[in-house]
Amino acid sequence: MASVIRPTLLRQAFVAPSRRVLSTSSVASSAFRSSTLSSRRPLQSAFAQDTLPKPARIAAFHGTGSRMILPPLPQRIQGTVNDPASVPDPTPAHGSYHWTFERIVAAGLVPLTIAPFAAGSLNPLMDATFCALILIHSHIGFESVIIDYVPTHRMPGVRKLFMWGLKLATLLVGVGLYEFETNDVGVTEAVRRIWKA
Amino acid sequence: MAALRSSSRLVNSLRGAVSPVWKRGFASVDPISSFSEATSKSAPVVPESKTSTIKEPAPEKDSKIKTFHIYRWNPDEPTQKPRMQSYTLDLNKTGPMMLDALIRIKNEVDPTLTFRRSCREGICGSCAMNIDGVNTLACLCRIPTDTKTASRIYPLPHTYVVKDLVPDLTQFYKQYRSIKPYLQRKTPPADGREYRQSKAERKKLDGLYECILCACCSTSCPSYWWNSEEYLGPAVLLQSYRWIADSRDEKKAERQDALNNSMSLYRCHTILNCSRTCPKGLNPALAIAEIKKSMAFT
Repeated sequence: MASVIRPTLLRQAFVAPSRRVLSTSSVASSAFRSSTLSSRRPLQSAFAQDTLPKPARIAAFHGTGSRMILPPLPQRIQGTVNDPASVPDPTPAHGSYHWTFERIVAAGLVPLTIAPFAAGSLNPLMDATFCALILIHSHIGFESVIIDYVPTHRMPGVRKLFMWGLKLATLLVGVGLYEFETNDVGVTEAVRRIWKA
Repeated sequence: MAALRSSSRLVNSLRGAVSPVWKRGFASVDPISSFSEATSKSAPVVPESKTSTIKEPAPEKDSKIKTFHIYRWNPDEPTQKPRMQSYTLDLNKTGPMMLDALIRIKNEVDPTLTFRRSCREGICGSCAMNIDGVNTLACLCRIPTDTKTASRIYPLPHTYVVKDLVPDLTQFYKQYRSIKPYLQRKTPPADGREYRQSKAERKKLDGLYECILCACCSTSCPSYWWNSEEYLGPAVLLQSYRWIADSRDEKKAERQDALNNSMSLYRCHTILNCSRTCPKGLNPALAIAEIKKSMAFT
């Protein structure tokens, strides 16, 4: 089935360079590539078609354009091959302190989640602590996701944007939780009412 | 030389036109005489029971033909995309390990297949590759005897490929160099002869010093895939812990400081692919956890 569709797609792709490729590097080079392709084509059809093994010829038929979000850059070695990779300056606030704080918050959330249900009573102060810890915990979690997937050395601007977006979102959630705690029943009571188990 | 080659080509093309009768060698049976013997009335046909028959080599019934799909890419043809190539081998004539199969393919089928290998017994770490979806050493990986399913062999994932199954480990070795993998010590030994260790102190290094730096664990770690420029990866962190845990080393604090930032160490999210894939059965995730623990309240 795919073989019926794909040749036509390929022919169109040769006529005009595809607009569907999103990455900047491919768009920049597509004009160059199409010109070289058209100049090389007669030669290829004359003899390369026959000499190429069949699987290799079929492998060139990719119907769907690949859409890589962040395609890898060509390899770039900093310094010589024998230089050690650079060691960053120690920043415990982003390293060990951060990790310890993160673990304490995560461990503290467990008893805070269970306690009101186990005790059967509701303390507004404990509910407030619970909300604050949830907020911090989720902020740290999302921050970690951004650090993982938005590398500074590739896209520093986008990284900054995401970080500020996260701060804004955390602030918004914080204000929302404060409103919910002061003007409504509070998180624990709300869960207790919704929960049907 | 070129002239000789063209003339020989000319002769070859002429030979194609000549009828096959004239190309026959000296030691072949004359087909006309045998034909006459079989048909003539005067000479009786020799019965089959009195002749010795040499049969064509029959295909072996119990041959186990296994298919191997191997990643191929040649830097000399940069316009050609990477492709998979299939090879079939009879497992009865092949050694038990994947490396035996690869060496047999290179020797007997396709000499252009490229891979690293050295010790063939899991000590050098050269033949690390992705076999059936698992990073492992080809010399320690048995060929699955199930011949119905094909085996797929790729280079280590998320590495720059030099050729076929050869990955570029420059960054890996640069990172290894950055942790200063050697004994750092200023004070001379007490007895002026050697740095002594108690048995308990030596025991801490078991499970750490056996690492052969094959990069199987680092290249199986998703965190290392995304951030290999800054995150050190399980193999290098295991080696870092090997020197942090060493009682003779005096630069423990400096070694810890070098890891104390958001990228070098703390991109480990305990995915545990490293411990699962390690072909030597080591536990890099435990070593990383020990480093984190030792740095937690300092």
